[in-house]
Amino acid sequence: MNNRQKIVLLIAAVLLLGVFTWWLASGGEVLSKDGIWVEKEMTELDKALGLKPELEFHEKFVLGLLPHTAVFSGAVIVISAILFFIFKTKKNKETK
Amino acid sequence: MKTILKTFLILIVAISASIAQGFKVKASGDQTFNFEDKYGRNQASFFSTTPLEDITGITNDVKGKVTFNVADIKTLKGSVSISVATIKTGIDLRDEHLRSDNWLDAGTYPEVTFVIKKVSDVNVISDNKLEAKLTGDFSAHGVTKEIVADVTMTYLDASEQTKQRAPGDLLGVQAKFNIVLSDYDVENMIVGQKVADNIEISVNIVGSNAM
Repeated sequence: MNNRQKIVLLIAAVLLLGVFTWWLASGGEVLSKDGIWVEKEMTELDKALGLKPELEFHEKFVLGLLPHTAVFSGAVIVISAILFFIFKTKKNKETK
Repeated sequence: MKTILKTFLILIVAISASIAQGFKVKASGDQTFNFEDKYGRNQASFFSTTPLEDITGITNDVKGKVTFNVADIKTLKGSVSISVATIKTGIDLRDEHLRSDNWLDAGTYPEVTFVIKKVSDVNVISDNKLEAKLTGDFSAHGVTKEIVADVTMTYLDASEQTKQRAPGDLLGVQAKFNIVLSDYDVENMIVGQKVADNIEISVNIVGSNAM
């Protein structure tokens, strides 16, 4: 394994670790979401009417395993494998 | 004989009045409450939980009317409906699936409706608040099934505070019930097994008798 291949592996590992950390930090959801539900603050009238807090949709991207994390990870693995192979071939040619 | 009949009649009326469970508020007689809110503050939601994912769907497009005698909640009649096209789950693609022909088919069946047939198990909590079970016909995806909903109703006389929401007396309704999707011929496969067959539905609405 030459230096270029090592760099490719290192970058791939950092990217994979980064995306999985982001996914876990986002709540480890199975599916990516376009937004989240947030409970609205209740007014005194709402309480007097015996209502429960209303849910309000807030647009916010939540990274899920599918499709974003999986697609990104797959792309990183495929590109890394291609680069790894290319750099290996180049080194072999240089050796000859 | 006439005296006996009169006494008997008075007794029946008195017993009926004491059995009748309702609100002790300023209003009396039959009142009709309209749940249409142009500001979209009424809300109906569904919740599905599976080991894979929890899904919440919401709509603020809730319509309906109920009529009842204030002193006797068992006289309650009416219906509440929601528009299928306005349900949001937080994922646009899933919302499209939900509206599609294989799911709730919003094109053919644009509304999900609950028609009240009977009120039972009334529990008066205070003069303006009570709990009850509402039996009615729940229609979705062209299929109608009888369901029982747990309901809490709160009656507020018109005041400066209630005017913030709507004119007239207000009726706050909080209802909860469960349905089984397969009972309504909904093909669960489109969204995958990520949606549970047993769905919890909640309704959080306010109606006015002056609209």
